[in-house]
Amino acid sequence: MKSMMRKTTLREIKQTFGRFFAIFAIIALGVGFFSGVRITTPAMVHTVDTFLQENQFYDYRLISTLGWEEEDVESFLNRDDVRYAEGAYTADILYINEDADELVLKTHSMPDNINGIELVKGHFPENDNECVVDSVMNGRPEIGEHIYVAETNEEDTLDTIKYRELTVTGWADSSYYVNFERGTTSIGTGTVDGFVYVPKGFFDSDIYTEIFVRFDEDYEIYSKAYKNYMSDKKETWETYVEQQADNRYDRVIADAEEKIADGENELADKREEGQEELDDAKIKLEDGKTELEDSEKKLADAKNDLDDAKREIDDNSSKLADAKKELADAKKKLDKVKKQLDNAKSTLVQSKKQLDDTDKQLSSGEDQIKQGQEKIDAAYKELENNDKELTAQETALAAKEAEYKAQLEQIGDMFDMLSAEQQEALNSAGREIEAGKNALKEARAKLEAGRGELTANQAALDTQKYTLSEGRKEYQKGLIQYEEGVKDYEKGVVQYESGKADYENGLEEYKDGKSKLEDGEKKYRDGLAEYNKGLSEYSDGVSDYEDGLNDYEDGVKEFNEKIADAEGKIADAKKELDDVEEPDTYLLERNTNIGYACFENDSEIVAQVAKVFPVFFVLVAALVCITTMGRMVEEQRTQIGVYKALGYSEGTIMGKFMFYSGSAALLGCVVGYCGGIILFPKVIWTTYRMMYHALPMNYIIDWKLAGLSLAAALICSIGTTWITCHYELSETAAGLMRPKAPKAGKRVFLEYVPGIWNHLKFLHKVSIRNIFRYKGRFFMMIVGIGGCTALLVTGFGIRDSIADFAYMQYDEIQTADASMTYKTEDDNVIPESLRGILDDVSQEYLLLNESSWDILAGDAVKEISLVVPENYDTIDHYMHFRTPDGEPLSVPGKDEVYICEGIAERYEISTGDEVTLRDSDMREIRVKVTGIFENHVYNYVFIAPETMEEQLSERLEYNTAYINFQEGADIYLQSAGIAKDSHMTSVSVFADVKERMAKMMSSLNYIVLVVIASAAGLAFIVLYNLTNINITERIREIATIKVLGFFRNETSAYVFRENLVLTMFGVIIGLFLGILLHRYVMAQIVVDMVCFRTQILPISFVYSTVLTFVFTFVVNMFMEAKLEKINMAESLKSVE
Amino acid sequence: MSAYVEFRNVKKTYRTGEVEIHALQDVNFEIEKGEFCVIVGASGAGKTTILNILGGMDTLTSGSVKLDGAEISAYNKKQLTAYRRYDVGFVFQFYNLVGNLTALENVELAAQICKEPLDAATVLKEVGLEDRMKNFPAQLSGGEQQRVAIARALAKNPKLLLCDEPTGALDYNTGKSVLKLLQDTCRDTGMTVVVITHNQAITAMADRIITVKSGTIADMRLNDNIMDIADIEW
Repeated sequence: MKSMMRKTTLREIKQTFGRFFAIFAIIALGVGFFSGVRITTPAMVHTVDTFLQENQFYDYRLISTLGWEEEDVESFLNRDDVRYAEGAYTADILYINEDADELVLKTHSMPDNINGIELVKGHFPENDNECVVDSVMNGRPEIGEHIYVAETNEEDTLDTIKYRELTVTGWADSSYYVNFERGTTSIGTGTVDGFVYVPKGFFDSDIYTEIFVRFDEDYEIYSKAYKNYMSDKKETWETYVEQQADNRYDRVIADAEEKIADGENELADKREEGQEELDDAKIKLEDGKTELEDSEKKLADAKNDLDDAKREIDDNSSKLADAKKELADAKKKLDKVKKQLDNAKSTLVQSKKQLDDTDKQLSSGEDQIKQGQEKIDAAYKELENNDKELTAQETALAAKEAEYKAQLEQIGDMFDMLSAEQQEALNSAGREIEAGKNALKEARAKLEAGRGELTANQAALDTQKYTLSEGRKEYQKGLIQYEEGVKDYEKGVVQYESGKADYENGLEEYKDGKSKLEDGEKKYRDGLAEYNKGLSEYSDGVSDYEDGLNDYEDGVKEFNEKIADAEGKIADAKKELDDVEEPDTYLLERNTNIGYACFENDSEIVAQVAKVFPVFFVLVAALVCITTMGRMVEEQRTQIGVYKALGYSEGTIMGKFMFYSGSAALLGCVVGYCGGIILFPKVIWTTYRMMYHALPMNYIIDWKLAGLSLAAALICSIGTTWITCHYELSETAAGLMRPKAPKAGKRVFLEYVPGIWNHLKFLHKVSIRNIFRYKGRFFMMIVGIGGCTALLVTGFGIRDSIADFAYMQYDEIQTADASMTYKTEDDNVIPESLRGILDDVSQEYLLLNESSWDILAGDAVKEISLVVPENYDTIDHYMHFRTPDGEPLSVPGKDEVYICEGIAERYEISTGDEVTLRDSDMREIRVKVTGIFENHVYNYVFIAPETMEEQLSERLEYNTAYINFQEGADIYLQSAGIAKDSHMTSVSVFADVKERMAKMMSSLNYIVLVVIASAAGLAFIVLYNLTNINITERIREIATIKVLGFFRNETSAYVFRENLVLTMFGVIIGLFLGILLHRYVMAQIVVDMVCFRTQILPISFVYSTVLTFVFTFVVNMFMEAKLEKINMAESLKSVE
Repeated sequence: MSAYVEFRNVKKTYRTGEVEIHALQDVNFEIEKGEFCVIVGASGAGKTTILNILGGMDTLTSGSVKLDGAEISAYNKKQLTAYRRYDVGFVFQFYNLVGNLTALENVELAAQICKEPLDAATVLKEVGLEDRMKNFPAQLSGGEQQRVAIARALAKNPKLLLCDEPTGALDYNTGKSVLKLLQDTCRDTGMTVVVITHNQAITAMADRIITVKSGTIADMRLNDNIMDIADIEW
């Protein structure tokens, strides 16, 4: 059965989605606003915190008037609580860019690991004469352009930098400059155009301007933990830093004294050394002179020698020419003899050849004969062999014949008895023997023929042998003749050889002579060259000597000058040393960094606003829930009765409604929370980003806040539902099912005033009576609309109060042009030089003593600026005393003070109260408050000089002056002029302060916009919801008047006239409520040193009213469409 | 010469998504001027739809409706509003008085917007509420409230008086007296009165009886034997 309940609940949501959405929307809006505004400041701080931690933002900036050395950095670095320390150079330098504009740039050395800088464009410098510039200057200079150090910079500044020209390599953002404030300067126009980061090498100095120290802790910026941590550090560090600076001072003095002593020693040494050198040089010069004279003599001798040699060479030359001719003749003769000898030789060779041929022929003949004889001998031998063999064969054959014959005999008679074959064999053997006899006869004949031939051949050979021996005899004769010829030829050759040797000897002798001559000539030439060289060397020597002489004279002069110079320098150094003062040190915390400090204030304002508004939204959300749910419960009265009659428990019935509103609220809460924590920080950060780089937002999720939002949402929805339900459920089921008696019409008060009532139009009367008919709705409308108007008034009012305070302060109250502080001299008055400048540039000025005191009021102690003008005669030229209500005030008399309204309000001090003032030395003065004056910037207390001098019994030191410049003068130029005086410590131009404050506060405009947008959303939802309820409640009535023939606009007017009237009431109440709310909000927005002027301009009331009406009209327009849709047949239905 | 009120082939179809419901079909009837007409039928027969169309509160799908020669069915929204304003008076079952207006003021609410209204106080006097004029509806009984409603309709001086179950929420005697008031009004002023009811007995007092059944006219007849309301019992 429970599921049926769930079904009807879900269906209910679907069918009445408009109502469900209204609850959802108001909760989403309320939670969104609540969580969004709450989370914005933490998110902003977190964003900047992340950025600063990432960039290692410093904790201490240490300054000593003597500067620091690497040694000091090391010493700080070695401390336990220090994570990192780094020395840095800083200077305000005037540059000129390529367009010839003057730029005053804060020039910083590039940090290694502290106060990081982020490149926006380009690249970091690679050389010492390159730089990255502030991205806010936006192209003035561009990357690649140059900036030039102006020659008009202070001498001291120019001395510490190496280059006069810088190339821009990139644009950067710096964590040291979180916002767009760049501070002030005493050079140029007094305003800073931006920063520039250069490599350390750009500075020509070992002395750091400042040291940045980063502690080994990462507390969130602005957090209490961090502030406590820093205040714990302060005392020890102050002592330590002072100690370190004193050490440095001692070192400087010791170093300087040592240097002076060294210098003096060196001077003495150098003087001696120099004198020695000079003396040496003089001796050398004289030596040189003697040497030169010697060489002159030597040169003359050499010249004579050379002339002699020349003559001798000429003689030898002619002799050689004669010898040459003789040799040529001898050569000719020798050639002739040689020719004859060659002829003889060729004849001899020829005859030798003939002889050899003959010899060869003879020898071959003899060989032939020898061979022939051998052949014949061989033939003989063969013949004998053949003879022997033949004889053997004849014997063998004879044997055979004998055997045959014996055989034949044996057989004899038996022959015939033999077989044919045997006969035949015997016959053939007989025949063979016969044939062999014949063959042997023939061979014997041939052998005898061969023997004869052989004998003939032997005879022929013998004849040849004889002829040959004759030839040999003749050959021997020719050979003897030839050998005689050879002997003759050899004799001739010997003769020729000896002639030739003679000739060659002669030639050798000639050549010898010739080379000797050439040697002589060469030697002569060499000698001549050497002589010439010697001559030029000599003349060089002469000029060298003359130079040397000049140098020597110069040297003497220089020596004297240098000595004098060095003596002067030593004297200067001594004097300078006397001038070195003990160093002052400054421990500057993060809050002295203008970006860091500004951001704290800016983000704090959002936090303050966040304190108030959300409560309002939650209230309205609760209101909307209560009306909506009340209406719903009422509508379902009968149903509730039915459930009750059916026996459902009260809890189950209530559960339905609680689920309805609870689920809407839960959804609204989730959507609102998610939207709120993203949207609000985003919107507000977008506006802040214009001032604080373009850091991406770091969103944070705060679960505690989420829980709180959810709790608030659930209380608003379920809580209110419970209340309405509980009331209805107390009735009995029967009572619930009976229709509720329609509310009786009632006469309103106005009807009893016939003067007015009777003159009203009938329909107006109807509206008036309707308005007062439903008190609840009337109240809701008034609160909702009034709340919206109040929010608008507050939003505009915040802007009015905050946007103007700076102008108010510096245009109407503190009207002086500038304020300056300076170092006084012994007599406690303004230094003469400064007085001169002031007389020149200002129209008038007033000296004052301004110092920090504490005001004690009750238990509270608050630091204030105590101002004691030298006299009050002309104070109204600089400061206008008037009460916050605008009543003029006089001046504080003796033992009286005037205190500013901010202090008076915060510590509830009123005129006539006695207060105590205390300074840092715990000296106290007691005074009576006789005036509270309007003041918006800083906490001033004014007092008369007599009071001070009497109560403290000492003369006052007037260290400050308020200045009014001459009419039309350039204030910045003038103040920069004053700032140059050495006694000045600071000048602040009030117009500057004014602009800065105004700019800072302009960020609030966006917050105001956010408030207005939220107020619009709120108004819309409230109006929509209430009108919606109004219409559904009166749907029968509206249908009836439609049936009666009311035209569309008449019907709308009939319904909406009420809305307009209620809006009017709401607005009137809202305006008053707004004034109160605004006052309350302004009291919450506490920015130290600033007291806002709580005011709402008339135009803001107009805006708020008009806007509220616009919202009402818009809602009416939406609703008119709904009216149009109402079916007239509804009027025929029964009461539900 | 056509009738004072004329329905010709009136058809009314409601469309809900895919489903077509024929509320009226081929409805034809006419009512003459000055007649007391009763439209009778069971619940859901379509009589209220006829009244809505005749009263200019609803449009028809096809056919034509004429009153005194003017074609109502051709009117646009604004003309319909003007028609309701000047030509028709309504009396509802649940009176539909504006709660925070007195009896007199409720009558004035209607009279204010007419061209020739009757005097509110006079009308109230005529309906017998002379003494209760300054009372708020919550202070009046049902019958009195219905009388105020009738007075509100009459004060407009309409051409046609439309009554939707005027006695539905009233007890027997009060209902009778209200019906008597209507009948007297018809007789005395010559106003055309159309009464819608599911009570067959009431037809006896009518000049013309129109019976509606399932979205169409089942019967239309003139009453030959008109009875006085006092003589009718149910």
